[in-house]
Amino acid sequence: MTTRRTFLGASLGLGATLALPNLARGASPKVVVVGGGFGGGTAARYVKMLMPAAEVTLVERDKQFVTCPFSNYVIGGIEKMQTITHGYDKIAKRGVKVVHDEAVGVDPAARKVTLKGGRVLDYDRLVLSPGIDFVWGGLEGYDEAAAEIMPHAWKAGPQTVLLRKQLEAMRDGGTVIIVAPANPFRCPPGPYERAGMIAWYLKKSKPKSKILIFDPKETFSKQALFFESYENLYPGMIQWIGGKQGGKVTKVDSKKMTVEAEFGEEKGDVINVVPPQRAGRIAQVAGVADEKGWCPIDPKTMESTKVKGVHVVGDACIAGAMPKSGTSANSQARNAAAAIVAMLQGKEPPEPSYANTCYSIVAEGYGFSVTAMYSATPEGIKEIAGGVSKLKAPPKDRDLEAAYAYDWYRGIMYDALG
Amino acid sequence: MCTQRIVLVGTVLATAAFGLAAPAPAAPTAETIARNCVVCHGPKEAGQLEIPKLADYPARKMIEMMTGFRDGQKEATIMNRIAKAFSDEQIAALAAYFANR
Repeated sequence: MTTRRTFLGASLGLGATLALPNLARGASPKVVVVGGGFGGGTAARYVKMLMPAAEVTLVERDKQFVTCPFSNYVIGGIEKMQTITHGYDKIAKRGVKVVHDEAVGVDPAARKVTLKGGRVLDYDRLVLSPGIDFVWGGLEGYDEAAAEIMPHAWKAGPQTVLLRKQLEAMRDGGTVIIVAPANPFRCPPGPYERAGMIAWYLKKSKPKSKILIFDPKETFSKQALFFESYENLYPGMIQWIGGKQGGKVTKVDSKKMTVEAEFGEEKGDVINVVPPQRAGRIAQVAGVADEKGWCPIDPKTMESTKVKGVHVVGDACIAGAMPKSGTSANSQARNAAAAIVAMLQGKEPPEPSYANTCYSIVAEGYGFSVTAMYSATPEGIKEIAGGVSKLKAPPKDRDLEAAYAYDWYRGIMYDALG
Repeated sequence: MCTQRIVLVGTVLATAAFGLAAPAPAAPTAETIARNCVVCHGPKEAGQLEIPKLADYPARKMIEMMTGFRDGQKEATIMNRIAKAFSDEQIAALAAYFANR
């Protein structure tokens, strides 16, 4: 009987003892969140809101969060960098300890995170929301030096400004090349929204110019809506070369300013390369990433299936039907926060409800969207219902959806860092 | 005895595991679902300009709007796609949740 009691006790008590070293000692539970974007900000904010007694630390390398959403509008010239640049003062006022440093190591057995600056943080639960890293050299000829000549602008900041400046400096009649990546990657509609936004600028300022999109894929997010918008707004300006037409780029040359595709070699005046990606470095270091570089998770709690006590949210995780978007990260983080708080209290994590909405704006007053609701199933995160905006919708709908995009931006910024 | 004990433990654990997954898929609470809504609809502090606020939204009107969007009787840019995810019961629960915010 003793054996059985001990065994049962050990099984049932696992959460209460191993998972809660700080609670067991009578201290506040400690939650460390790595990465201060949409996923990390939301996770930190909601854990603190749902469990004020918890000590929540947000580790973020940069002093400011420059959002990828809306960065295409800076490139197109309808927004300024200031619009997409945010501080961490508001979330700090809500009781989240913000540490500007870089997480460089995770010891999941000791439940410790090591920072570049030397500090070591204890945790009961760790959230990793590191976003993406580029696989430098994953596309021949494209490394960090080449990115200074052929910007990716796929992490917003100086790269966004660089691409905008190159467009401003380009001659009328020039060729802009966008190299789109294979799936999976951050922001599936992003390259095509960007083409629209660049066309918006060129149509006004350099109308003889053209845009080529080289793409290894045969289909992409909101494809019919993008094609319809290019036709309506920028006839003849944007050409998409998909997988079937030999659009897969095999090499770029930043000295010659060329891209080599299966279709042939093309010279560009401005070349924007969206490189191959994987989960941010700390995910690889912590051992939560798989052989392809992305992080498998429990669809109900977002806890890593590889390392207990570590939750992975946002672009870095493998979230089934959910795209790698800011809204997905925000929704995953909110549900992960609820699961974490329940686990810290020794309760069953609540059933999650996931959502995504991605607006694309391709001209001032011309927007459309993809949206869906999702649920956790034993096979992963599945879509319940959703879809894209109607084709041939009246201009007032496109205008409304562009306005809604701005409201979405206000809302998600408030939910994540406000 | 030893074997029996192991079997007993095994049964208890298996029952516990089944108990989590077996009955009709667990449903998220209205509050869990509603936290998705506020990303676009916002609390007042977020400063939305065009999208209707949901705090204190009249319950009867929300049920009418959501079922109308879902069943194709009301035109929408985006809510027609989202509303299809919800049952009558979930819509009623969401309406009750927002009516008292």
